Amino acid sequence: MSVTHDEVLKIARLAELDVSEDALPLLAEQMSRILDYVAQINAVPASEGVKPFVPGPDALRFRVDEVKPIPLAFGPETLAPAFKDGFFLVPKLGAFEGADS
Amino acid sequence: MTDPSEALASAKATADRLVKAKRFNACLTPVRELRKALVTQAQAAHPSGVLYGMPVAVKDNICTLEFTTTCGSKILEGYRSPYEATAVAKLKAAGALMAGKTNCDEFAMGSSTEHSAYGRVLHPFDKTRVPGGSSGGSAALVAAGAVPAALGSETGGSVRQPASLCGVVGIKPTYGRVSRWGLVAFGSSLDQIGVLGRSVHDAARVLSVISGRDPKDSTCEERDPLRLPNVPESLQGFVIGIPKEYFPADLDPAVRRACDRAVRLLKELGAAVREVALPHTAYAVPTYYILAPAEASSNLARYDGARYGPRFDGSADVRALYRTTRGEGFGPEVRRRILLGTYVLSSGYYDAYYRKAQQMRALIAQDFRNAFDRGVDLLFTPTTPSPAFKAGEKVNDPVAMYLSDIFTVTANLAGVPAISIPIGRIKGLPLGGQFIGQAFLEDEMLEAAYALERVVPATEEA
Amino acid sequence: MAGTATPEWETVIGLETHVQLRTVSKMFCGCSTAFGAPPNTNVCPVCLGLPGALPMANGLALQLAVRAALALGCTVHPRSVFARKNYFYPDLPKGYQISQFEQPLSTDGSLSYLSPDRGIATATIQRLHVEEDAGKSLHDRFPKQTAIDLNRCGVPLIEIVTGPDFRSPHEARAYLLTLKQVLEYAGVSDCDMEKGSLRVDANVSVRRVGEAVLGTKTEVKNINSFAYVEKALTVERDRQIAVLDAGGKVEQQTLLYDAKTNAVRPQRAKEESHDYRYFPDPDLPPLVLREEFIAEQQALLPELPAKKRERFVEKYALSVTDAAVLTADRAVADYYEAVVHAGSGADAKVAANWVMTEVLADAKDHGDGLRVQPGALANLIGLVRGSTLSHQAAKRVFSEVAEHGGEPRNVAEALGLIQVADTGVVARWVSEVLGAHPAEVERYHKGETKLLQFFVGQVMKVSRGKADPKLAQRVLEEKLVA
Repeated sequence: MSVTHDEVLKIARLAELDVSEDALPLLAEQMSRILDYVAQINAVPASEGVKPFVPGPDALRFRVDEVKPIPLAFGPETLAPAFKDGFFLVPKLGAFEGADS
Repeated sequence: MTDPSEALASAKATADRLVKAKRFNACLTPVRELRKALVTQAQAAHPSGVLYGMPVAVKDNICTLEFTTTCGSKILEGYRSPYEATAVAKLKAAGALMAGKTNCDEFAMGSSTEHSAYGRVLHPFDKTRVPGGSSGGSAALVAAGAVPAALGSETGGSVRQPASLCGVVGIKPTYGRVSRWGLVAFGSSLDQIGVLGRSVHDAARVLSVISGRDPKDSTCEERDPLRLPNVPESLQGFVIGIPKEYFPADLDPAVRRACDRAVRLLKELGAAVREVALPHTAYAVPTYYILAPAEASSNLARYDGARYGPRFDGSADVRALYRTTRGEGFGPEVRRRILLGTYVLSSGYYDAYYRKAQQMRALIAQDFRNAFDRGVDLLFTPTTPSPAFKAGEKVNDPVAMYLSDIFTVTANLAGVPAISIPIGRIKGLPLGGQFIGQAFLEDEMLEAAYALERVVPATEEA
Repeated sequence: MAGTATPEWETVIGLETHVQLRTVSKMFCGCSTAFGAPPNTNVCPVCLGLPGALPMANGLALQLAVRAALALGCTVHPRSVFARKNYFYPDLPKGYQISQFEQPLSTDGSLSYLSPDRGIATATIQRLHVEEDAGKSLHDRFPKQTAIDLNRCGVPLIEIVTGPDFRSPHEARAYLLTLKQVLEYAGVSDCDMEKGSLRVDANVSVRRVGEAVLGTKTEVKNINSFAYVEKALTVERDRQIAVLDAGGKVEQQTLLYDAKTNAVRPQRAKEESHDYRYFPDPDLPPLVLREEFIAEQQALLPELPAKKRERFVEKYALSVTDAAVLTADRAVADYYEAVVHAGSGADAKVAANWVMTEVLADAKDHGDGLRVQPGALANLIGLVRGSTLSHQAAKRVFSEVAEHGGEPRNVAEALGLIQVADTGVVARWVSEVLGAHPAEVERYHKGETKLLQFFVGQVMKVSRGKADPKLAQRVLEEKLVA
């Protein structure tokens, strides 16, 4: 199956990834090939009665409700590329307006 | 080791060895920082710890308080984690010395460590070849004798495959055996921290220490740490299955010879050997390359330059910030997998790809259960279809690269443990053979590995 | 307000309510959920979305969610799955929200409420599921930048989705107030829209009356109080009608309500369709609830408002309206019953009046506190019943006890309010009053019997409120006859 340039751009938008114009043809071709390769699983008919397989514990464990935060060796202000008055800073949303959420 | 002076000596000797191993580009930690950290740790470590003074290198996708955690990516260049992985904390509590961070394929995505933003890792025996991946740095350091053991991580074989190519031991535990807290997630339902070691004993000791319950990981089973078995006298009573799908007609004859030799030795050790079938094996790689990228596309969404890591743009708007940071911060393999993963989860494709792959995974896991239910204790297979390939050979052909995982991904999909040990040489290059065990029965797997390790001529041509 | 709904248009509204659960720690980590902390101080690797962090589920949150589901008559599913809802936004650090999608905690509930238009109506609860809250983005704090506070990120939420059941903005509001009441009763949340522990998004569409197919719906967000619910929905309904009346088509979009201008505006300059790419969260095993667990939550549910109202009407012979007032708040309802049953008991109707007037008024002025102990109020009511205190005096005593505490009888004595029921004393006051107002006495004898109340008032005045007014009235009547 062929993934079109438009589809690649649409997926890239969903994934918030910049894809340059010149990278597009190769990327579309590689993705098409990979998707063709993985699509061979459709050769196997749908299986009735096979339990879905989830590795790990069968049921979720619960934690007691108590204030017991995991300690940080240093705080957000040290991690952040941009920080002011206790807030993380990012450039404002441009393409659309959000309300204070 | 019980004496602080011994630990200090170990620290210094390790630093020296790591300096010598610099040329492989396997260690990402600058020498001065490394030396200082090793000495500080040696002074602080508890002499009563079972790994007291043992240097263990840590793959750079595992969070440490010492050293940066970059995951081999530009998008985490210089990132210092404010907390450490449970596995690392356990090693330190046992007196081990964290011997720096090792180079890896970016975010553990790759089979050659050519996809690191910090340069490829050289195979210690042949610098034109790859050490495998994604835990190539860890494997190379162990193979070069710089450290006796190193932590790596597995999603589709990233510990066993480099172990095979570098001629060291690589263990992947049962899913849920080792806490993933602090392991930077790639494919969450497949990821496990694994161990590379110069011997089964070294690797198993480390595995034992890092295993066990952790309330901080909801997918980690409530179990005591792994208890190590003794080296058995013989393998009398063991039934070892040879899955025919792992010995296809076009298997490299040298690989086949090496495996045949190993199987003969297993029989000589007293094991019963029989052929088994794992009929859905052919679908394992395609299944893996739907599920792993899907999970990765979601796990890597947090890397956007907003709260940590470098920013790549002085954008006026936040979407531009995300797109540029991610577009420039991620390398081509990671970008490809994120796009692939996004695609297979997207509306209209979810059923045909993701949901179908989940069903395939169940069938693959069922294959293993069926084999084990029929009285087989362990499986034995080649670890990789070939020894170390040349750098640049597969890096531009994603599908060809994916096929290096052909014998390893099944264990990750089924969540079962597996171990690769060196079983021979092909034109001087190492090759591994693997045991695949039953869930949470690592001890049986280790017994077989110990026994084979003792007798197999790992440095002889197959 | 431009354009009320004309008879030819029918409004169809569905509501999605997000309610914060009353836990002290977050849904997937042990950080505090306390409101009002300095920004980014209640954070950890998990809720910051740091590399390598993993979620750990809060057991109490799940208990409260099940209780809420049961209180709303939902079917609680013994097995449900957490799913990732993937999208990018500054206040969503992982780039996905842990929520539930294909296999939610509960479905198929209902909630009856009093519709201003149609009497008792029933809203269908399509689903109630568990998820984590996002952080807060502040767009106007710094120029050209958005400030992010992740304190709220990870707080446990339940999302409650109704069908397209409401036919007017008032109905939507009535449902929300009932929902709030039920959830407060169940003790799962404090449902405070101002604090953000209850948030609502609405889906609105219109269609011609009689039309079976639903019109295109829009989503309205940023509604920050119950009052704004009605306003926002009215504004959007009117906007859609205006568009259709002018021959246009309603565009599917997300709109934000602006309380200052009482208008809605599109959230996005160009509409980007969401593809959330839901898939089961591989970091969380399935949520499996044993039957005993669910039964325990059912047992922990108190009597819910509707049942309590019915019981009050029957047991205490109250009117439906009075019962509704007394059961609006669970604490008040419990208080009322405590008063009725305290000591020798107070008359149910009298107690009801006291609670609905003095008690609630006092509470309103004092942070919703019920300052007079039920036993004390019961005593006070007893004193009035036994004519020891006039009702007026009792109100004074009530205020005094509310402010300073104390035994009602002692307080009354200290204030010199104990009623005089001595006929002799009262007779003297009566004589004094009648002596002072001969003109009125004459008017009374001429037929203005209404003046009796005037005389009673004067006796109360002259006695500084101490006379038993009923006795005073009797004595007056006797004396005036003469």
